[in-house]
Amino acid sequence: MATTIPAIEVSGLHKNFGRTAALSGLDLRVESGQVAGFLGPNGAGKSTTIRILLGLLKADGGHARMLGADPWADAVALHRRVAYVPGEVNLWPNLTGGQAISILSKLHGQVDEQRRSQLLERFDLDPSKKARSYSKGNRQKVALVAALSSRAELLLLDEPTSGLDPLMEQVFTSCIREAADEGRSVLLSSHIFAEVEKLCDTVTIIRDGQTVEAGRLTDLRHLQRTQITVEVSTDPYELSAVAGIEDLKVSGAVASFSVDPAQLPAVLAALASHAPRNLVSAPPSLEDLFLRHYSDEARTPVTARGGELR
Amino acid sequence: MSTGTTHGRHVLAEKTLPSAAAAGRTGTLTGLGTAARFILRRNWLRLAIWALVLASMIPIVFDSQQQAFPTQADRDAYAQVANTPAVAAMTGLPYAAGSLGGILVIKIWMTLAVALAFAVVFLITRNGRADEETGRTELLRSTALGRHAYSAANYLVSAGLCVVTGLMISLLCLSVNLPSNGSWVMGASIAGTGLAFVGLAAICGQLASTSRGANSLGVALIGLFYFIRAGADLQADGANPSALSWLSPIGWALNMRAFGEDNWWPLLALLALSAAGCLLALRLESTRDLGAGMLPERRGPAAAGKFTATTLGLTLRLQRSSLIGWFVGATVSGLFFGSVAQSMSSLLDPNNPFARNFVGTGHSMLDGVLGIFMLFNALLAGAFAIQCLGAARSEEESGRLEQQLAGSLSRSSWLGAHLAVAVLGSGLMLLLAGYLTGLSSQGSADPGQLAGACLAYWPAVLLMLGVQLLAFGYVPRFSTVLTWAVYGLSMMAAMFGGLFSLSDDVIRATPFGAIPRVPAEEFSWTPLAVLLLLSLVFAAAGMARFSRRDVLAD
Repeated sequence: MATTIPAIEVSGLHKNFGRTAALSGLDLRVESGQVAGFLGPNGAGKSTTIRILLGLLKADGGHARMLGADPWADAVALHRRVAYVPGEVNLWPNLTGGQAISILSKLHGQVDEQRRSQLLERFDLDPSKKARSYSKGNRQKVALVAALSSRAELLLLDEPTSGLDPLMEQVFTSCIREAADEGRSVLLSSHIFAEVEKLCDTVTIIRDGQTVEAGRLTDLRHLQRTQITVEVSTDPYELSAVAGIEDLKVSGAVASFSVDPAQLPAVLAALASHAPRNLVSAPPSLEDLFLRHYSDEARTPVTARGGELR
Repeated sequence: MSTGTTHGRHVLAEKTLPSAAAAGRTGTLTGLGTAARFILRRNWLRLAIWALVLASMIPIVFDSQQQAFPTQADRDAYAQVANTPAVAAMTGLPYAAGSLGGILVIKIWMTLAVALAFAVVFLITRNGRADEETGRTELLRSTALGRHAYSAANYLVSAGLCVVTGLMISLLCLSVNLPSNGSWVMGASIAGTGLAFVGLAAICGQLASTSRGANSLGVALIGLFYFIRAGADLQADGANPSALSWLSPIGWALNMRAFGEDNWWPLLALLALSAAGCLLALRLESTRDLGAGMLPERRGPAAAGKFTATTLGLTLRLQRSSLIGWFVGATVSGLFFGSVAQSMSSLLDPNNPFARNFVGTGHSMLDGVLGIFMLFNALLAGAFAIQCLGAARSEEESGRLEQQLAGSLSRSSWLGAHLAVAVLGSGLMLLLAGYLTGLSSQGSADPGQLAGACLAYWPAVLLMLGVQLLAFGYVPRFSTVLTWAVYGLSMMAAMFGGLFSLSDDVIRATPFGAIPRVPAEEFSWTPLAVLLLLSLVFAAAGMARFSRRDVLAD
């Protein structure tokens, strides 16, 4: 499936609900065969984007292609090649989970009976229970089994692990890895950073309906500052004079600070002269990356308000 | 205070003592009053509507019966023919049919008693099993509320509804100068039926683990006891009840014979059943876990069959129980209409303005009565069709449509399947109801002709569906309520237009009023063609809009 056509190609996407703008110029690109993370705070527009890609909502502006086709006009044909797992799975209360799986996976295209029974076993789901009696996690499993037992080229997963226990999350992780090995493309919207870091090749972070960060996870990491905690034999306050050290915090003999990756060699050389007894270096996590964008949002209105007061 | 802190502390301790003691009380009924007030606050409107609607039937029906049988001679004539098997089976064994009180019992007692039983079953499930299912009871029980307080409060509030409704019925009977003994027995027997079902519904709420299951069990019990009573009343010797009627609490209440012998003692049995049911339910409650039922949840197939996995198959499967219910209803009402048509037409006075409004003038009374029965059948089919297509909106609202459309299902084939079930189902229902009316009319009408007369209403039903599709396309959130409003207005115009002094032309411009009332009126294609054209235009516009709009889940 190594085609040159990207699995998802979205640029400048706009969508309004009444007077509220849900998306205002969103960009998103998922190459064929890639696992792409899709992150953003609640209400940022992740589900709206996925619904537009599924042809459930009509975009008000911008450009969107999925597997090289128009998600609105070619919806039905496209959906034979796509499988979707929503974050909030609603099932028919008086049908069994197994019946719901049959119906949904048939709609996703070819049904692989063997795969289905394997997945039921791996996810430890009893298919002959009425959906009414399922917990949230079990309803989520129904949608996962239905989507994963299809032969879809592209998986659209909208917070698919909400309600799953850690054991089932692990099963989910290995299922996605297998899907990636088979060359399928995945768009994974998630709040669980560990999950995204484990699975995704690329990450797109959105806020207020716009893309604020996108790229390969490794590239993004390089842009971030490394966090270092060190125990020194000298006065830790002397470290404030070293070029490249920022946000210095001292507690006893322990100093912690952040360093720009470009200045790391110089800082480490300077540190050596302080006879460090212990050093811990934490690479920037996706969580830091995300929280930086997240907290910017919280801070901006406060300063704006302060400015008005003065 | 400047005095010693020890003194202050002492006072504080004394002050907190009573509340500490209160918290220490751990009876299973602690907080009963609070729970009852909470249930009343959540349900007061519902309770008020049930009581008012049920009680207000008394003066309305009494008035219409007084007009239908103005003199003692009319009532005596009615008493001669009142005791038919159909009446005995449907509304209970007639007795004292020569008195206004007796006629009131024949016309409305069974409706009120059974309606109150339904009200009680729904209320007890709503505040019992449904709350438990959604986890609200768990939240309440985690507070200082006794184990049985919430359930007991639920039973008490429902019992309160029965008592208040009964009282209102008695007072309204007294207000129209019916005999006082009979009036009190009338209210007490209806309240007693309700109270008996408080006990039964309480047990159902403990047995089933879902609100749906509890409601089904309760409704099944109402049905069972109604049919036992119907069978017993068909075996009756004249106006004397059969011993079999003692097998059903509805029979016990009927045997109180308001405005007849005015027996009070069956009320004791009803009260005993009520109390025993509630006590058993509370007993069961203390032996089971919160959230669990006594009956196991049924298991089902591990995969969908070939047919269920198709779009049309799934639509039919999801509406299976509702379809069965509607068709049983149409069958029963069709058979009932046919069986009473002859006796009703011979009883109606052609000069009575009330009767004239309903059956029209000119033609034979029988044709007029059959004509209005066809309208009733059509209104039933219309309600069925609207509810059936309304399932499409609930699929969208619940988010289940999204998951289906995310698969390779086109919007038009999904909506088409729902529409097909509503359109074909309503046509079939019209044919069936009309045919059965003719079949049970004991030769006074041709079943084939009535099936045709009934099917003539199909375009009116289709117009309702057209309106619904239009609303579904343009204002999905309001489609259900808008369609029912249009249906309600059309129904009022067709049935009571004359009473509201609407002119004939206006009535003929409404969907159900436009259809010629065969056999009373000449058949004509024109109104049918106009209605059909309108419904096609509405439906096309609605479907076109749906294929272009956002899918809106709530």
